[in-house]
Amino acid sequence: MDNQKRETLSALVEELTTSGQPQLDSAKMKQLKQICKSSNEYIDHIYHLIMTQLNEDHAEIRLSAFQIADELFARSHHFRSLLVSNFQEFLELTVETDPAEQPLPPPKEAAQKLKIMAIKSVQEWQSKYGEAYKKLAVGYNFLRHVKKVDFNDVEARTLAERKKAEEKQKRLENIYKDKVCKVEKEMGEMASEIQECLTEIDNCFKLLLSDPADFTFDDFIPSSYKQNHFEKSTSTQLISNNQLVTPDIDDEVPCCSKDLLPMSMLSEDRKVSESTVKHMANQQTKDSSDDESDIEQNSGHDNETFLRNNGIISYKYSLDLDISSGLNINENENNEAVVATIRDLHRLITTKLLPSVQSWIQIFTKAGINDDRMKRAIDFKKALEIAIKKHEDLHINYKWRERKVLKASHDDDEEDDDDDDFEEVPEKEGFEPTIPDHLREEYGLEPSQKEVMQTAAPDPPPRPKRRDDNEEMDPTCAAATLKIFRHKLQSSLSSSMSKASESILSSPKASIESEKQDQESAAPVIPFGLDLYYWGEDQPTAGRILKFSSQHQFWVPHEVEEEVENKELAAMMKTRYITFAGKFEPVKHKCKAPMPNGSLCERQDRIKCPFHGLIVPRDDLGNPTNPEDIVRLEKEKKEKQEVQPDWRDPEMMREIEAATGVDLGSAKNFGKGKGSGKAKKRKYPNLTDLKKRSNTTRSRLEKRVFNKAAVKRVTEAMNRIDSRKHEKFSNQFNYALH
Amino acid sequence: MLGFLFARQTGLEDPLHLKRAESTRRVLTLELNKDRVVDRIHGNGVNTLDIEAVEGKYMLSGGADGVIVIYDLENSSQKPQYTCKSICTVGRSHQHVHKFSVETVQWYPHDTGMFTSSSFDKTLKIWDTETLIPAEIFNFEGTVYCHHMSPIATKHSLIAVGTKDPKVQLCDLKSGSRSHILQGHRGEILSVKWSPRYEHILATASTDSKVRLWDVRRATGSLFTLDQHNGMKSKAASEAADSAHNGRVNGLCFTGDGLHLLTIGTDNRMRLWNSANGENTLVNYGKVYNESRKGLKFTVSKGCSPEFVFVPSGSEIAVYALFTGKLITMLRGHYSYVDCCEFHPDFQELYSGGKDCNILAWIPAPRSPVLDDADDQTKNGGSLNPAFEDAWSSSDDEG
Repeated sequence: MDNQKRETLSALVEELTTSGQPQLDSAKMKQLKQICKSSNEYIDHIYHLIMTQLNEDHAEIRLSAFQIADELFARSHHFRSLLVSNFQEFLELTVETDPAEQPLPPPKEAAQKLKIMAIKSVQEWQSKYGEAYKKLAVGYNFLRHVKKVDFNDVEARTLAERKKAEEKQKRLENIYKDKVCKVEKEMGEMASEIQECLTEIDNCFKLLLSDPADFTFDDFIPSSYKQNHFEKSTSTQLISNNQLVTPDIDDEVPCCSKDLLPMSMLSEDRKVSESTVKHMANQQTKDSSDDESDIEQNSGHDNETFLRNNGIISYKYSLDLDISSGLNINENENNEAVVATIRDLHRLITTKLLPSVQSWIQIFTKAGINDDRMKRAIDFKKALEIAIKKHEDLHINYKWRERKVLKASHDDDEEDDDDDDFEEVPEKEGFEPTIPDHLREEYGLEPSQKEVMQTAAPDPPPRPKRRDDNEEMDPTCAAATLKIFRHKLQSSLSSSMSKASESILSSPKASIESEKQDQESAAPVIPFGLDLYYWGEDQPTAGRILKFSSQHQFWVPHEVEEEVENKELAAMMKTRYITFAGKFEPVKHKCKAPMPNGSLCERQDRIKCPFHGLIVPRDDLGNPTNPEDIVRLEKEKKEKQEVQPDWRDPEMMREIEAATGVDLGSAKNFGKGKGSGKAKKRKYPNLTDLKKRSNTTRSRLEKRVFNKAAVKRVTEAMNRIDSRKHEKFSNQFNYALH
Repeated sequence: MLGFLFARQTGLEDPLHLKRAESTRRVLTLELNKDRVVDRIHGNGVNTLDIEAVEGKYMLSGGADGVIVIYDLENSSQKPQYTCKSICTVGRSHQHVHKFSVETVQWYPHDTGMFTSSSFDKTLKIWDTETLIPAEIFNFEGTVYCHHMSPIATKHSLIAVGTKDPKVQLCDLKSGSRSHILQGHRGEILSVKWSPRYEHILATASTDSKVRLWDVRRATGSLFTLDQHNGMKSKAASEAADSAHNGRVNGLCFTGDGLHLLTIGTDNRMRLWNSANGENTLVNYGKVYNESRKGLKFTVSKGCSPEFVFVPSGSEIAVYALFTGKLITMLRGHYSYVDCCEFHPDFQELYSGGKDCNILAWIPAPRSPVLDDADDQTKNGGSLNPAFEDAWSSSDDEG
């Protein structure tokens, strides 16, 4: 047996197994086979090599070793007999016959691959050599009957795994069964509810939809409206215009005609509204007095032309609404109940019924149930969805309706299917520049002040701040709006204001006021405290502690000072501590020390960079600008170089040592330096690093917690606590003994 | 061999010598042979085996699932290949099957018409082999670990039963009742064995790490206890007094002549005792791996010149020289723990059963062909078994 060949064999096996490749290198394998072919002694040797490699705790090494074994098994009888004689161990190491004691080592993918491959090979070997090698057959039978390895199963799962999977499946099935039973019960219970809900909502829809259909023939619609509607050619024109802008879902009645209803009513039917419109028109003229002079000429009666010219549909409509909402109270009440029901039903469907139906379907699909139960659930879902869709078709109307229902419960049948004029309504709520006189009492206001109105008019109506929780700021309250205006008047004097004929407040007063406000805004705000409570007052009792004399009949303490004055306490009443921590100022400078990769250090520490020391001003190239810094840094650099001269690069040293075999003392010099850690190369760079994986939070924590120093510290602290206890009770024999 | 034959021919030597030499040789060459297969019947671990002594033809096996199987071992086919068929089975569907694991089975020593089995279901059953129906059932308080019938007894037909209870009980087949109770142990009885030399002598091993020898005729108690230190150290350490092992003692075996007794314990030791006076012979077998919580059935060869012990040791069977303690070989073939082994004295074959559900037959290797017809043999072997051929590819490039 050639010693050199032996060594090459060892080297080859090592190279092949530590390559980390899923396939063996064919050239090396050829070489290996050639050596093995020459004599059985080499096979003995390689058998041992393979077994040692198979014992390594690395699945990739094992995989490669197994592949070599597989190659040789097919070729050499001697190798076969050797391997079969130790087949138990071989199976343990490759097929994982003893998962509790000897699980396959990590990289999981490689281990799985190894297992599958091994099982496949064992089957092949059995079919080919099973008769000749009894133990192989026994092993195969063992795998098949005891370990219940299914050789046809590609997954190569062992009995335990399969059992686990089965159990899981079973458990899931049971859970699903339970769930399905529950759902069935639930469905039985809820079916009637759903059905009821559906029919109810359907009926509601019918009721609502029939309203507009009956609209033209309805008797409760005032006849005057009809007349207006048909008589006024201008208004119809307007309708056609508006129809282009706002297509309506309601096909029977053009929406804008309804819009106009209140307006026409306003202009002709009602006396009260007359004045309001005038009012409004006035306002408009004031509004646009600067740019549009022709409008000024327009009289209040000519609403149509005004509208057409201005094109401010919203503004106008909102006004209409305000009045109309006050008009048809009787009709609203008719509809209110239906809408409320629809809203409730819709909520019921979206929050309860539909989700539950969906969950049923989910459960059914998961449980794989595909019969009429599923069908029924799907039917329910469809019906509910249709209902929701229907509702959505009428969505916006209902939405606004809902609001109205909530707020004022003022509804109008005609307005049911109208989007446009209701959209503007909420915007109006915050600010109503004109409140009709007849309504003033209703809102709780004094009779109108024209001046106020007029001054307010130039400002565009402010959007209500709905988010304000403050009750005073409640935009729905008209009083609040007025308050806002007054506040505005006080705080600032605008040009428009000066234009106004009369101003409420004199200007000098206003200026003082504003000054004061400035000061107020500059002053710090302090929470209320005792010191403020007694501000400027002299407290006679401050800092006095009263001691009550004994209440006892006979027994009286020797000397009683009834009052004790405590200066500290007295001071506490008058002073307040305000800690001033200063303001956080973000660091603006950067370390800017040059880094080995050419860039500058980006760290933004306040004083000291953990890597580059004190932060000093540097130029764009990272060189320090101050001369003393330059000197200091130079010095530091020199010191560093002295410790570790350039030519004694630890890596190079190590290489030289390895090549020559002479100890140059690299290990001694730099054993502790950072060089040793870096230069330490992994033995087999191709293999998956198993240790790398252990870099988890747990491991890092472990490193910290179980650090020797930390453990020592903890024990010391514990001992100290212990000993203190002993000191305390040291004169008691029981503790003294411990 | 030829020398022995010649000596035998000329009458120079006792025939026993030849027999012993040959059987020793055969035992030494025991191996797992593809020619002998025992049918796979057990779906669970095989706990116990017994080969009947009358013909040496039938083997009983008891499984961990309560199944009892009878195998035919005799190869009458004139061919080397032979599969030991199961003749009859007390399967799971049998109405009288043991509910739990069968721990011990034994043939009636004088006849194959009857056998006994004891189980963890707290019963000992006496079976009629013909009908496979229990003729008698003894119920016990605790699980039955072992039982044994004297192989030579002619004056009594007692079955010693070791149960969870520390009292050893003797069941009399004649009366069908429990006749004796032997008190003395303090732990479960894991093994009981009758001496093959004196019919009234019984050895028992227990978890209290003691081994006691009894004369069943004596009423007062055990004859003596085996002491691993031969009385030297026991005076000092009162706890270890008279203990045979430092752990549980879970195996007992008399040598064929009954002069010596082997014990095995969970301290991974095997000890050989003089059965006449209870003296520890101090034979060192080294470490014998043994972790079984139940009784372990091991066996001794018969009719070899140095006798051998076959001891299950993990998933292997260790073969030791009985008197020197030398480890001869390890028989490796099982894939899980081996629970029992049984030696066939007529053919020098060994049968072993283990947790991997296998019963393996260890057969002496056929004598290697004599030199003159070596060529023929190899040719035949080659043609017979292509699997044995090497399959290196011929061209040098491919290797």
